[in-house]
Formats: sequence, C-alpha cells, structure tokens
Amino acid sequence: MIDSRRKFLGSLGLGALGMLPLSQVLAATNAWIPSTTNPATVPGNLGISGRVVVIGGGMAGATVAKYLRIWGGAGLQVTLIERESSYNSNIMSNLVLNGSMTMGSLSFSYDLLRKNYGVNVVTGDVSAIDAVGKKVILKSGSSIAFDRLVVAPGIEFETIAGLETAASQNLAPHAWKAGPQTTLLRNQIKAMRRGGVFLMSIPKAPFRCPPGPYERACLVADWLKKNNPGSKVIVLDENPGIIAEPVNFGKAFTVTHAGVIDYRPGTSILSIDTATKTVNTSAGQIKADVMNPIPAQRAGAIITSSGLANVGGRWAGVDVLSYESAVAPGIHVIGDSAATTQPKAGHIANQEAKVCADAIIRAFKGLAPDPAPVTNSACYSPITATTASWLTAVFAYDPTTKTMKSVPGAFGEADKPSTKNMDQMKKWFTNLMTDSFA
Amino acid sequence: MKKPVLIGIALLASQAAWAQANTVSPPGRLLASNCFQCHGTNGRAVGGFERLAGESSKEIAGELKEMKAKTGEGGIMRIHALGYTDAQIKAIGDYFATQTSR
Repeated sequence: MIDSRRKFLGSLGLGALGMLPLSQVLAATNAWIPSTTNPATVPGNLGISGRVVVIGGGMAGATVAKYLRIWGGAGLQVTLIERESSYNSNIMSNLVLNGSMTMGSLSFSYDLLRKNYGVNVVTGDVSAIDAVGKKVILKSGSSIAFDRLVVAPGIEFETIAGLETAASQNLAPHAWKAGPQTTLLRNQIKAMRRGGVFLMSIPKAPFRCPPGPYERACLVADWLKKNNPGSKVIVLDENPGIIAEPVNFGKAFTVTHAGVIDYRPGTSILSIDTATKTVNTSAGQIKADVMNPIPAQRAGAIITSSGLANVGGRWAGVDVLSYESAVAPGIHVIGDSAATTQPKAGHIANQEAKVCADAIIRAFKGLAPDPAPVTNSACYSPITATTASWLTAVFAYDPTTKTMKSVPGAFGEADKPSTKNMDQMKKWFTNLMTDSFA
Repeated sequence: MKKPVLIGIALLASQAAWAQANTVSPPGRLLASNCFQCHGTNGRAVGGFERLAGESSKEIAGELKEMKAKTGEGGIMRIHALGYTDAQIKAIGDYFATQTSR
C-alpha cells in the first residue's frame, strides 16, 4: 500500500503535486493510516467549556489533543502547538537503517486531527510559558491563552565532547530523533568500507525507547552480515547490562549475530574526535568507520526553561493520577519528559495522554481524577530483517507509593523472535498511529 | 418550613450535578482505552487486529479470562490479560459492548 501510494505521487511529478489541494498532499504522508479508518465523533457541548493548549505533537501530544475532543466534547477548545509541520515516527525508524523503509513512509501529518476532531493545530515554536498569566508565548511574539496546559516536548540531548557543532554531529549522528539524521546514518552504513567498524553507544537509563538501541544493533548487524561481510558492530553500553528484553537481545548478541556484534557493557564515551574517527571511552580508545553515539537525555528544553524539571533538574515530576506537574498547578506533563516509573516510549505515552485527558475533563467539572488508573506498554522489536520479538507491561496505580507499579505477572518478552511477530508489529504500528494521529 | 424545602432543592441540585458529572467519564472507558492502541479507538481496529467494538461483554471477558487461565503459554495477550482483575475485565467488556463497530 505504501509503495503504490508513493509511486502514484511520484508519477504525478512535483508540478502536479503543487496543484493538488493541500489536504491531499498532506494525506499522502499518512501512509500507515488505513483509508477504511472510521474516526470517532466529537460530541456536542457536554457542559465543559475551556481552553486547553498542548505543546508538542508527538505520540503523547497528538493523542491528548484527540482524546480531549472526543471525550471532552465541542465546548472544549484544543490548540496543539508543534514546531514541525509533520511528525517523523521514531517507532520503526530503525528499519530505515537496514533499508526496509524510508523516513518518508514514517511521516504523519496533523491534518486528520484538524479534520476529524477540530483540533486547532498551530505550527510554531514556543519561547516561554507564562504560568501566572496562563498563556504560551511563541517565538513569533504572539501568545495563546489557556485554562489548562499540557506539555509534551519529548527529549533533549546532552552534548558529547567533540560533537559541539552541527558539522561534527553529522559525522557522528545519533539518529535518536527520527528524521534527516536517520537517513544520513543509513547512507553512512551503506557507504562504510569493506570490513569496517560500526560503533554505537547506549546512554545510562532512563532514555527514550529502552529496547531501541539493542534493536538497532541487531538490525545493523543483520544488514552488514549480508551486505558487508567481515564488518563489525561495537556496542558500548553505559548500563551494566542489557536493560530491555535481556533474553531475546542476549541470544541475538551471542548466537544470532555472534561474531558481528561486540557488546561491551559498563562502557561510556568520554569524547569523540571526528577528524581521526577516534572514540575515547572509559575503556580506552576505539577507531570506528561509522560512529553512532546515542547521547544522554533529559526532558525537552521548555520543561527546564519553565522550571518544571524538578526531578534532578532533568525531568518533570508529575502526579500520575492526572499528570499534573508537581510544581505548577494546571500544567500537565506527559510522555518522555515526565519522570515516572513507566518507560519512555510511544505506546505508553499514548496511554498517559488518555489518563491525562480524562483527568483534565473531570477537573473542568470539579471532579477528582480516576483513583485507580491503569496504563500499558507494548512494543515489537525486530531482531533481523524478517523476525521480531516483543515486550509488554501493565502498570497500575499504587496509592501507597503514589506511583504506577508494574503488575506482577503482566510483564514479559517473547519466547523467541519470529516472522509472525514481524507481521504483528505492522498491525500494532498501524493501530497505534491511527489511535494517535487519526 | 422554608428550610427543609431549601435543603431538598440543594439535594436535588447536587444529585443532578452528580448525574451530569457521571456522564463526563463513563465507567470502564479509561480502562478500556488501554486496548485502543492495538484494537482501535473505541475498539474499531484497523489493519488486521480483532475489533472489540460491539462485541458482547461476556465474549470479551470470557476471552480475556481464558487467556489468563492458560499456563505454559507466553503470548503477548496472555501476559497482557494478567494485568487486569476480573472486575476490571468486566468493566472493559461492558464498555466495548456499548460501542458500535461502524
């Protein structure tokens, strides 16, 4: 479906594209949203009047905007502010590195949130939050007033010594925010010399998508085995061991991709010299041909600049019954920026968004949030170009610790990777993206 | 004589407010929304996973409880189902039964 649609657009040529109505051009980006999708309806005014502004149109922000409308009704005005005109999915983006997909096929527009749910989508960059005056100030100088604010800016990266400039970052791209760097890294892997070394690093947890780096190591190794025999994948992990799906990735590293992946736990990068392609690590110098260091992470910049990063100065503390900030009443933080016991990943960000939307709607009615929320995480991880594993967890609110606790028994990974899981992964991604963006 | 009447009106008003409040977040909806990521918004799945919208509560609860009871099998839905109590499963089933599949 994706291929034929892209071919169709390609055959039209750029000139013809320019003459199409904007909605049709934008719709072309939503290759994973089935045309048979039957959107939910926005009910009429439910007696809830208010203005909610959402900062950030990722998995969390898009989902909260949609659910505020379908659960809150027409009286609730929802404005979504996003810097980019479309969303590049991080989920599945490791499949760009082995040539299975292109970034273009992982692009999602905000058009359906506008069209189906009446979300007011504003393309703009936020410069500040005025918590007292209850407005968001944009870099353009304009401001947008709110009764409640949801902040979902995702993550920001720490700078690795030696990678201070954009030019040096392109010589050692992290590709941990899907987009141009993903395609760049793909091209660097393809162009790597025969028998070369691909070096990647994993930062200390917490970071976005816990299984992601291990999945990436597997997919790059799998591609190199077939296309560049004799080359190696060195994985430096600042953590003491594999932090997600230890059974499947452990087996993948030592059996499936044995002799290709060289996994070095407890090792961190101190600096990188892009001129000599030398990586200085806590265990000595390593020469590499393609360098893919994933830097340490913290909450999106607006969280720190607005004083919401009360957890270690890096993440936003929240009440997980409502995702209301621990330090700013009326301001909620969801997704990767929030400090919770839940993983930083798209599937659970979608569920955090629903808990937050429900709590905001109740709050407009003067009601307390649901006292016993449940959230879930599920994800599939390719181990080769044709097989995948999965990981799942259910979290329930624990009133004693006031945290979301992993429900005993309801946590686990696949017995083994399979082609069936790869097929399931596509169904999962189709539904997850449709639930979030359409 | 006036006071009791006023109290009566106040009680009625608060009951009305409660009834209205209850419609803002129907029981089971937030719990059931855990299924939406894979089984579609309101259970209207796309792309090949099972549609839950419009299935009977008994059917959904029965399937989930059956999965929970299976031993020695580690499918994703079995592990997932273990995350919910029987009461929560019933609430989820009741919610999907109120949804239309189209």
